Amino acid sequence: MQITRKTALAASVALTTLTAAMPAAATDITLYRFFGDCEGEFGGVTDLNEAYGECGIITVLTNKFNAENEIGANVITQTVDWGAYYDLLSATYSTGDMPDVAVMHASQLVNFTDRNLMTPLGNKLMEAGVDVDDWADAARNNVTNNGEIYALPFDIHAILFHVNVGLMKEAGFVNEDGSVRLPSSPEELILMGKEFEEKTGQNYIAIESQSSEGMAVRMFDAFVWQQGGDVLSADGKEATIDSPEGLNAATLIKQMYDEGLTDSGLDYGGAEQAFIGGRAGILVNGTWGVNNYATQAENGAELQEYTALDFPTLYEQPATFSNSHSWTIPMDESRTPEEEEAAIAFLKFLDDNNFAWAMTGHLPVHTSVIESEEFAALPHRSDFAATPSMARGIPAVKNERGIYDAMISEFTAMWLAGTSPEDAVAGMQSGVERILRRNNR
Amino acid sequence: MTNRTPQRMRRDGRAALIFLAPFLIIYCVFLIFPLFKAVFISFHDWELAGGYREWIGFFNYEDLWYDDYFWKALGNTMRFAAMAVPSMTILALLLALGLHGHGRVRAVLRSVFFSSSVFSVTVVTLVWQMVLSPDRGLIAPIFRSMGMEPINFLGSVEWAMPSLVIATLWWGVGLPMALFLAALGQIPDELYEAAELDHASRWSTLRYITLPGIRHTVLLVLVLQIVGQFQIFGQAQLMTKGGPANTTLTLVQYIYNTGFRDWQVGYATTIALALFVVMAGFSMLQLWLGRKGDDQ
Amino acid sequence: MRNRFSDRLIVVAVALFAVVWLIPVVWVLVMSFKPDEVLMRSTAGFLPVPFTIENYARVMTVAKVPNWLMHSVIVSFLMTFIVLVISSMAGYAFARLDFPFKRPLFVLVVAGLMVPEQAIFIPLHTMFADWGMHNTHTALITPRLAVPIGVFLMTQFFRSIPRELEEAARLDHASHATIFLRIMLPLSVPALTTLGLFTFIHGWNDYLWPLVSATSKDMYTVTVGLASIQGNFGQSEGLGTLMASAVFASAPIMLLFVIFQRFIVAGVAMSAGK
Repeated sequence: MQITRKTALAASVALTTLTAAMPAAATDITLYRFFGDCEGEFGGVTDLNEAYGECGIITVLTNKFNAENEIGANVITQTVDWGAYYDLLSATYSTGDMPDVAVMHASQLVNFTDRNLMTPLGNKLMEAGVDVDDWADAARNNVTNNGEIYALPFDIHAILFHVNVGLMKEAGFVNEDGSVRLPSSPEELILMGKEFEEKTGQNYIAIESQSSEGMAVRMFDAFVWQQGGDVLSADGKEATIDSPEGLNAATLIKQMYDEGLTDSGLDYGGAEQAFIGGRAGILVNGTWGVNNYATQAENGAELQEYTALDFPTLYEQPATFSNSHSWTIPMDESRTPEEEEAAIAFLKFLDDNNFAWAMTGHLPVHTSVIESEEFAALPHRSDFAATPSMARGIPAVKNERGIYDAMISEFTAMWLAGTSPEDAVAGMQSGVERILRRNNR
Repeated sequence: MTNRTPQRMRRDGRAALIFLAPFLIIYCVFLIFPLFKAVFISFHDWELAGGYREWIGFFNYEDLWYDDYFWKALGNTMRFAAMAVPSMTILALLLALGLHGHGRVRAVLRSVFFSSSVFSVTVVTLVWQMVLSPDRGLIAPIFRSMGMEPINFLGSVEWAMPSLVIATLWWGVGLPMALFLAALGQIPDELYEAAELDHASRWSTLRYITLPGIRHTVLLVLVLQIVGQFQIFGQAQLMTKGGPANTTLTLVQYIYNTGFRDWQVGYATTIALALFVVMAGFSMLQLWLGRKGDDQ
Repeated sequence: MRNRFSDRLIVVAVALFAVVWLIPVVWVLVMSFKPDEVLMRSTAGFLPVPFTIENYARVMTVAKVPNWLMHSVIVSFLMTFIVLVISSMAGYAFARLDFPFKRPLFVLVVAGLMVPEQAIFIPLHTMFADWGMHNTHTALITPRLAVPIGVFLMTQFFRSIPRELEEAARLDHASHATIFLRIMLPLSVPALTTLGLFTFIHGWNDYLWPLVSATSKDMYTVTVGLASIQGNFGQSEGLGTLMASAVFASAPIMLLFVIFQRFIVAGVAMSAGK
């Protein structure tokens, strides 16, 4: 049978009308994120009860959205190198394949919003039914620039003290009611640390101490805030690190290393292994670890009794370092309305599942979730209940990563290269000023 | 050069055009042109994303001159190259000398030393970070067994750079070794046979036959190594992030950070051009020395 | 014959060194057979206990790694092939032809050796962006074709070939194409092997350029892909899967080298036979 031109044309017209008439035709959108790849483990899973860890939960959430949404949206995940995530995301603005949805630390957002590279989301999210007023103030402020909401906040993650309760008992640092006693002043930190080591033979604290992740800088920030100071002026224009508060904080942390409270040779994985292996009383790390460490404790690691506590207040006021994972829609003129609709729908779905993400250990952004019973029922959450109110970040500033890296290299030099606290704060000050000078020009 | 006539020049000229064209076109489009564009970019305050660019003349160059980080990174890079280039060349040469020849064992060993070259930088750096860790690494137990405190290799001002060199050697020795092996194969067996008849010692065979025979390859490897090691990036970025106290911050890392982390593409390009000038200087010195050796 | 013993001794010494060399590789192998959860607790130990092949099963079933492997192989092979062709052609011209501006042209080409990839990295990125050609094999291959070292190497090699070998053909008025294809190329197997190996490894391990050019996951190469599956902070979770992927992705190239060795040996035999 010969297919005439006419029939072919008719067929194609029919096909087009057919696809146009079907609202459920798949709209593929791309999702850029870090958190790693666990497609192998959770590839087909849509049941949230099976998921654990950041990677598992976000993968299952994505699968669930793809399976359940009714507008034919299909999210295609692209996991990206953690270390190069923002470099690659910025590169997509040149390569022209900006993702439809991208995860972003709130501290990075200003780089993009200041250059008009992110889609404003306030009205779109509200139209989709997201209750932005239910977001905790800190979370909403994190994603707001010049009065416009540019991202959907997903969590507040903050630095905690992860605690090996068994070792604390051995050291005699557990009260009669079963609560763990943490230091309440700088002097006490050092004293308790030494006592801990005498009694247990282990390090009091394990913390990533190499020059890659800068966990100690987060601790430094918190100690500065606890004294009422800050590392940057509120407008983000000036560095205020070389201050009495900064020097106090640096001196304390240097002392922590000098007195042998912690092993300066630990990298991120090493610190985790030391803690899980029962070789340290406290791990200084973020909320993202809670779920993992609790699971390890249940599954027979040397760490047997685990809990997570609020970062202790050693000075006048409580404060701990925090940041926020949020979801953005990068500006892209070639994005079709259908794709944008699908992207917004995905954000709405993630917002609805704020609780699921909180299972990782992160703090939810919805006040209704924070106050809910199911959240309170999650293990250990009541032990770090004060963290949401303590959580702080440095003032919004462009090139936060450069600032952070400059601080890391100067700060870690205290124990890696033997510089004095005075030199460390001076070094951080000038390193940060250099970046700020470029910002201000 | 007796038959070098204008006539021949003309006849050869056409052939040369055809033979050279594919390379030269690619060379111009993907090397010469970008280089000039880099110079152009370096006169701008040029941001990575968002399209902001402003002509600022020589400001970036002025800035570079007073930039402590740049000089520090330059010094670190040279220190790295000064360690990595000779050690890589010597190690590769020794391995090639030991493994040159027939036999199954040698073939297997050649594969062993080559095997590490095929791992990606992600894996190489991750494994070496673990190997060198004073806490759970492979070297730490040796120190402990001798009753010593393990060295925090990557966290030590003295050891961080040599550690990067070792990881680099492990990752990269396969290729220069293969180059040397290929070169050693070019030396005619007759020369060795003659040496054997003369009862030449192993050392004098090496000194008078082998080394002169692979002289060009040594030069090639050296140039390749200088060019390559001056551009060290992955190891420093992933293993130490430039630390501790910026002692392993290298130029390419600084370029990358400036361009992709801080979005200062104009300034990053300026640093890159400075690296070009430094490398050009070294390579020219190298070629000049090599030529001098040839003339003798 | 008197060297037999010391020859053996050297091989034994090198073999011992090789064992040390292999330790990290063995460690990678061992970890690739351990469950992720166990590795999070401790990465120590050279016995794959508890043993699992689940990591490899994941690598195979999810089929991402084979896809990255395909891109890496396509890119590295094409790159190698094209570099060999254009470098040997240019090398022949510089070594055997007389033409105007030959010397300055050669100097210009060799000077390119000093241009660091990073110096032209950003301009290249903007160029491909202007052409809308990122996320293609072309974008991954072409910037790596302008390898001055290849031309330099081939020129030097062709120069070292005695002219007498071509005299007969030249007297027969054979064209340059014939001389190049029939006489010079067959003689240059060792040089081509060297250059090919160099280009291949370079292309295979390329990280920065594919990272910022192949930004779509459908174009990931092995290096970029492996980096992408790491969790936050580069480690802890999913270490076993990462190692299995690394082994799986490196194995074909290892195998290739084992086969490739014969070519190096062949090159050796040929030059010894002439």
